[in-house]
Amino acid sequence: MGVMTDVLDVTGVHHRYGATTALAGVDLRLAPGECVALLGPNGAGKTTVVGLATGLLAVQAGDVRVCGGDPRRAATRRHLGVVQQSMGFPPTETVGELLRGAAVRAGRPAAAASPAMAEAGVSQLRSRRVRKLSGGQQQRVALAMALVGDPDLLLLDEPTVGLDIAARRDFWRAIAARRDAGAAIVLTTHIVEEAAAVADRVVVLHRGRVVAADTPAGLTARLSDRTITARTTLDDVALRALPGVLSVTRDGTRVRVATVEPERVLRDWLARDHELTDLRVEGAGLEQALFALTGEDPGTAGGNADPDTHTDLGTAKLEVPA
Amino acid sequence: MTAAIGTRPPAHGLRILRVEVAEGLRAIVREPTALFFSVLFPVGFYALFTTIFGGQQGFVAGLPYAATNLATFGAFGVVSVMLMNPGTAVAEDRTRGWLRVKKVSAVPIGTTIAAKVIAALPYAVAVMLAFSAVSLLVAGPVLEFGSWTRLMVALLVGSLPFALLSLAVGFVLSAGASAAVLNAVLLPMAVASGLWFPLEMMPPFVQNLAPLLPTYHLSRLALAQLTGADAGVHVVALLISTAVAAALAGWAYRNLRV
Repeated sequence: MGVMTDVLDVTGVHHRYGATTALAGVDLRLAPGECVALLGPNGAGKTTVVGLATGLLAVQAGDVRVCGGDPRRAATRRHLGVVQQSMGFPPTETVGELLRGAAVRAGRPAAAASPAMAEAGVSQLRSRRVRKLSGGQQQRVALAMALVGDPDLLLLDEPTVGLDIAARRDFWRAIAARRDAGAAIVLTTHIVEEAAAVADRVVVLHRGRVVAADTPAGLTARLSDRTITARTTLDDVALRALPGVLSVTRDGTRVRVATVEPERVLRDWLARDHELTDLRVEGAGLEQALFALTGEDPGTAGGNADPDTHTDLGTAKLEVPA
Repeated sequence: MTAAIGTRPPAHGLRILRVEVAEGLRAIVREPTALFFSVLFPVGFYALFTTIFGGQQGFVAGLPYAATNLATFGAFGVVSVMLMNPGTAVAEDRTRGWLRVKKVSAVPIGTTIAAKVIAALPYAVAVMLAFSAVSLLVAGPVLEFGSWTRLMVALLVGSLPFALLSLAVGFVLSAGASAAVLNAVLLPMAVASGLWFPLEMMPPFVQNLAPLLPTYHLSRLALAQLTGADAGVHVVALLISTAVAAALAGWAYRNLRV
């Protein structure tokens, strides 16, 4: 691979499933050692991006390159390591057999299975049938399979769903070691805190477009002081009609309005509702930032983000959670 | 990076084929019930037919019915398992997500498909061994060992296009739908090709239809191993079937919906 080649280069990609537009002009580039989190509600296009980068889907418009090559070609996919949310392991295979198979498929000697199993912490499970293992153990086996080919690009599609905190920490520790060794990482997740903690960059997808791409801290900073909450007599339709309003949600008697122009919104809002009370303009955590951008709550979209514990990304460090 | 430095020996494709086939064989050996029940139906059917018609003289001059029946019914046996099994198996793999794991790996499409076809061969071998055992029990030895071996090889190699067709269906449909569709293809094709009853007993339009079916050419190729008749046209027909089925399977795998 050439020194200057991006590990992943997605340029101007459009993708449709029949009449449904999944991606409407997406660009994404990763250099070696970068970790990018793809965030967004279900249907935002995250899975389509992963499908294109892994060669599962044929590019319809635009260009997708992995280490300079076409991921539809088997030889290009030697650069890839993929962890899926659900691996569907065959019931008759042991962990060791799966890893030796994965090594050979990736163009490595079967003996490469041993260090990969050690790295993912599954060496002691090598003679067990993989389907008899717990969900967390199976996901570590999936990680070992992704690492065994020594990939330049790791694609992790919701990799920690169903894992407990300790298992998640071990998972990200192994990933961080690979990143430090030069591997680029793309992860999709619903867990906003996780994205903030492990990613160098967060790319927010919404309705097939990149609506924001920044460091977790930068993304939060750009959207700080831009969530307005209040008690109001106006209904949602009237609120959405106010210029500058991105989204409206209710939380009991309070309404929450996301905007990038709080002054303008407040001027109009106060003019229309003289009984407005309990007004608060809040700084946004990444989760609120995401919510403001997409108008959809990532915590309700199948993830397990706790809505009461927003990480303040102004201070978030790009480290693996301890 | 930590893993061993990758080397690319010239036999890399073969190494992949070996691990893929080994995975398929382990699935058979460790959970043999699927093989057992796949083989049970054609073998039971064959036993019934041979027992009822075992004493009759064959329709191909000079050969006992038991011998020609091993060829024609044998064609049904291998086709039934090769058509049913690989397709329903990959449909299940696809539903579970395992086929996607294979597809994003660095394995070329042809290797994956070839491995699945080869890994289905034990089903065809099992059917033919069981048929031969039943035939021996009912009718005694009716074939020279050399003829029997040629018959076996012809049926096993000739069954490969049916496994490809099966994969093409399994890559597209669910396991249940694959089984239904493949059954709907198998049974009429078997009857119309003279695999159960001699073609001569069939109405003329079926007799005219038969040469268009790959099952017919497989049974004629098998019979030719016993009669010494020229089988060139049947080999060509089966090669064309293989090319068409391989193209369909390749297209379906490339456009896999996962």
